[in-house]
Amino acid sequence: MTYIGSHILARELKKGSAELLILSLVEDRPRHGYEVGSLIEQRSGGVLRFNVASLYPLLYRLEKRGWIQGRWVEKAGQRRRRYYRLTPEGKKVLAAQRDTWLEFVEAIGLITGIKHA
Amino acid sequence: MPDWKEEVRSRLSRSGLAPEREAEIVEELSQHLEDRYEQSLASGAAEGEARRSALLELNEGDLLAHELRRVERPARRDAPAPGSPRNRNMFGEILQDLRYGLRTLRKHPGFTAVAVIALALGIGANTAIFSVVNTVLLRPLPYKDPDRLVMVWEDATRSGYPRDTPAAANFVDWRDQNGVFEGMAALADQSFNLTGMGDPERLEGKRASASLFQILGVEPLLGRGFLPEDDRPGGPRVAVLSHGLWQRRFGSDPKVVGRSLELNGQSYEVVGVMPQSFQFPSPEYELWVPIAFTQQEAASRGRHYLQVVARLKPGVSFGQAQAEMSTIAARLQQQYPEQNADLGAAVVPLHEQVVGDIKPALLILLGAVGFVLLVACANVANLLLARAAARQKEIALRVALGASRARLIRQFLTESVLLAALGGVLGLLLALWGVNLLKAFIPDSISQVRAITVDAKVLGFTLVVSLLTGLIFGLAPAMQASNFNLNETLKEGGRDAAAGSKGKRIRSLLVVAEVAVSLVLLVGAGLLINSFLRLRGVEPGFKPSNLLTMSAVLPQQKYPDHTRRTAFYDELIRRVEAVPGVKSAAIANWIPLIRQGDSTSITVEGQPPAEPGKEKMMVTRVVNPHYFQTMGVQLSRGRAFDESQDRADSPGAVIISETAARRYWPGEDALGKRLAVGRVESPDDWLTVVGVVNDVKQFQLDAEPRPQMYLSYKQAGFFAPRYLIVSTSVEPLSLASAVRNTVWSVDRDQPVSHVRTMEDVLSDSIARQRFTMLLLGIFAAVALLLAAVGLYGVMSYTVAQRTREIGVRMALGAQRRDVLRLVVGQGLKLVLIGVALGLVLAFLLTRVMSSFLFGVSPTDPATLATISLVLVFVALLASYIPARRATKVDPLIALRYE
Repeated sequence: MTYIGSHILARELKKGSAELLILSLVEDRPRHGYEVGSLIEQRSGGVLRFNVASLYPLLYRLEKRGWIQGRWVEKAGQRRRRYYRLTPEGKKVLAAQRDTWLEFVEAIGLITGIKHA
Repeated sequence: MPDWKEEVRSRLSRSGLAPEREAEIVEELSQHLEDRYEQSLASGAAEGEARRSALLELNEGDLLAHELRRVERPARRDAPAPGSPRNRNMFGEILQDLRYGLRTLRKHPGFTAVAVIALALGIGANTAIFSVVNTVLLRPLPYKDPDRLVMVWEDATRSGYPRDTPAAANFVDWRDQNGVFEGMAALADQSFNLTGMGDPERLEGKRASASLFQILGVEPLLGRGFLPEDDRPGGPRVAVLSHGLWQRRFGSDPKVVGRSLELNGQSYEVVGVMPQSFQFPSPEYELWVPIAFTQQEAASRGRHYLQVVARLKPGVSFGQAQAEMSTIAARLQQQYPEQNADLGAAVVPLHEQVVGDIKPALLILLGAVGFVLLVACANVANLLLARAAARQKEIALRVALGASRARLIRQFLTESVLLAALGGVLGLLLALWGVNLLKAFIPDSISQVRAITVDAKVLGFTLVVSLLTGLIFGLAPAMQASNFNLNETLKEGGRDAAAGSKGKRIRSLLVVAEVAVSLVLLVGAGLLINSFLRLRGVEPGFKPSNLLTMSAVLPQQKYPDHTRRTAFYDELIRRVEAVPGVKSAAIANWIPLIRQGDSTSITVEGQPPAEPGKEKMMVTRVVNPHYFQTMGVQLSRGRAFDESQDRADSPGAVIISETAARRYWPGEDALGKRLAVGRVESPDDWLTVVGVVNDVKQFQLDAEPRPQMYLSYKQAGFFAPRYLIVSTSVEPLSLASAVRNTVWSVDRDQPVSHVRTMEDVLSDSIARQRFTMLLLGIFAAVALLLAAVGLYGVMSYTVAQRTREIGVRMALGAQRRDVLRLVVGQGLKLVLIGVALGLVLAFLLTRVMSSFLFGVSPTDPATLATISLVLVFVALLASYIPARRATKVDPLIALRYE
């Protein structure tokens, strides 16, 4: 695989998993955009990074679909931020995506011989 | 600190977002940049470094605008179609449905207008009638615990008076012997001439037992009610004023208590003023004085003139009260077999007494407007069905995209409830206007009429009716629209889908139902109109044109004897007849058709005295010689009264009606026979029949005339004349003030009241019938219009659907006549089924109206036939117009119509 080829694969993988990542992160509690972005970067050890231009359109799309819902929250001494939380609809989608992802990863593993950790 | 907002904004400039949305995004994104900047600083970066790393987030600035455009744009162009499986959030969905519904309605203004107007007519009529029902039937009477109040009457059913006014002695026995009432009060009519303060005025008042106000449970606004010591013969002369009288004649003077009033020439002390809501027994009574029975009066069982109101003890039922009163009445029958023969007692709840007359009419009207609303619903349902058919493609698309059936039904119902709500709002406006109109038509006898208002209960009623309406007319189209075969629809290519046989059947059924219900309403209205015309055509027995009537009652105190009264009337008649424009003047104790009058029992010479309870009764009129010519009553035999022959000291003369002559002298000539008023005590009591005149409808137009007799006012002192009747050669009311002034020229203190033309009297006497007829007529007309529109809609639609078929037929040689026959025939079929169904319904339902009919049976064949023909004719017209359009179909175009 050439360098360019792996670059394209990374982009496509990131795109395909972004929804799943965001949904997972707002599952437990509402988070604002910056927090979501930072968490993705932290937890992936810096491998995955979303900047403003890629993160926010995604958030808005998920909100449009009704999977997450954003709400302005004002905390004492801070400017207001928009917090996103998972909707019941989003919960179903998340569960489905998790299953699909798992199946997908397993299938890939079976074919490529890459073992799951 | 860097201006993040400016940075973000500059990169969004080409995203084409709505300003509000853009501001929000700018705020959120700048916050993000700010966070990143702060974090960089915190981890030890220099300011310039931190700024760069934050701005790095915005790299590929074009990408941001591009992505946002992709996410945000489609939403701004169009909200996701309801039914698509997104955004499953109940409230959001409803809002979405509403928005979508509003947009759909706005897109079809013609359809929306027709539907809303039809609904507004239905809902408005219901609201208006309900507001009357609410006030008159549902709102409690303005007394304390009004459901424990009753009226007690003498039950003289055997003599034709199931609710007769009790005699004083019977009242006293009832009151003293019963154990079911907390209290019992008697009232008697008493007119007062109010003098000594401006123009004299005639006031209607009541003598009342001292306990009246306590029994009703109403406290005076000022001062006090009556004390037991007021209610005693020779007691103090005290009066309680109504709120209206206090305002009108005393300018609402708060210190009126203690002032004196000159009533019938005697001085009374004002002791109290009642609150505005107190109108007992009805608003025309403005004054109450203690009844203070004299001993002689309290012992009398012969004169029946009281009204008795009583309050049940707590826990006592109407039935128990009735049983107790019947027992007492039976005992009194045995005790006084002569006077109380066949006399029972009837306990009537006060509410029933007050509303009894109008209740059936209101209930019928309520039923009628309910029918109108049903027709309106059917109509709108039809429109919606037609539109649902046209929207088949849209629905197919949504189903294909995964919309559930429930979701589609909800969307349709939202639209119909929205329509109903719009109709409800417009209907409420119509009702507000209609209620004012109704007030003008409702007969004054309904005392609460002035208080009819649209209150919270009425608003609630409108709301419920509107919502129900929306659900009712929306359900059929919703079910139909959502219940279809996707495959089939797509196969049919939308061409014929709308004419899907099921939808067509429902629509035809609705038209049949509309026609049937309209027919019932029209038959009801037709019967009432028929009755009313017959009533109007009833010969009253006198000529009401060019007659002016007014009341002038002489006060007993000022004119205590017959001689003085006669002198007054002699002078009055002489002067009135001298007024230019007056042809002749008459006086009488009562004028016809005001439902009041005197009747007396008579003894006929040569016939055995009647058994108790079966006396020979005569409606008695005391008149002057010019009465018959003034009123236009025809003398059929004998002579009229005459100034010279019928003086006070001449032998007694009497003129009787045809019915009296036939009834009491059957098979004989009554002329020259003799009768006496009451019993014969001396030979002077005999009166000779000198004339026979035609029957006059003395009480009401729709009753058979009773035997009548006329006595000369000079000879009959026991009934005082009260009314002046003037025959004029000019417009009667134009002489009103001249005649009134003439009365005052004879006696400056003599009040004049009830100034009306005889034609008004006649017309007022049938006001209730006119009211019911007019309203039912209006409702029936609305229903007919709606049904016609409905039929027209269905036929137009069918024609549009069958354009191709018609084109083919015409191409194959069908003539315009054939096409006309085809379309009109189809409409006619629906109408005929509807008419047949309607006739059966009418047959079942119009029975409830029989008490409103006069001279027509509820199943009058002529009315039924006429109405059916009218309906068929209107229906033909409604289907002829679309049919004509069908004949204009150009086969070429129709066939190319694919």
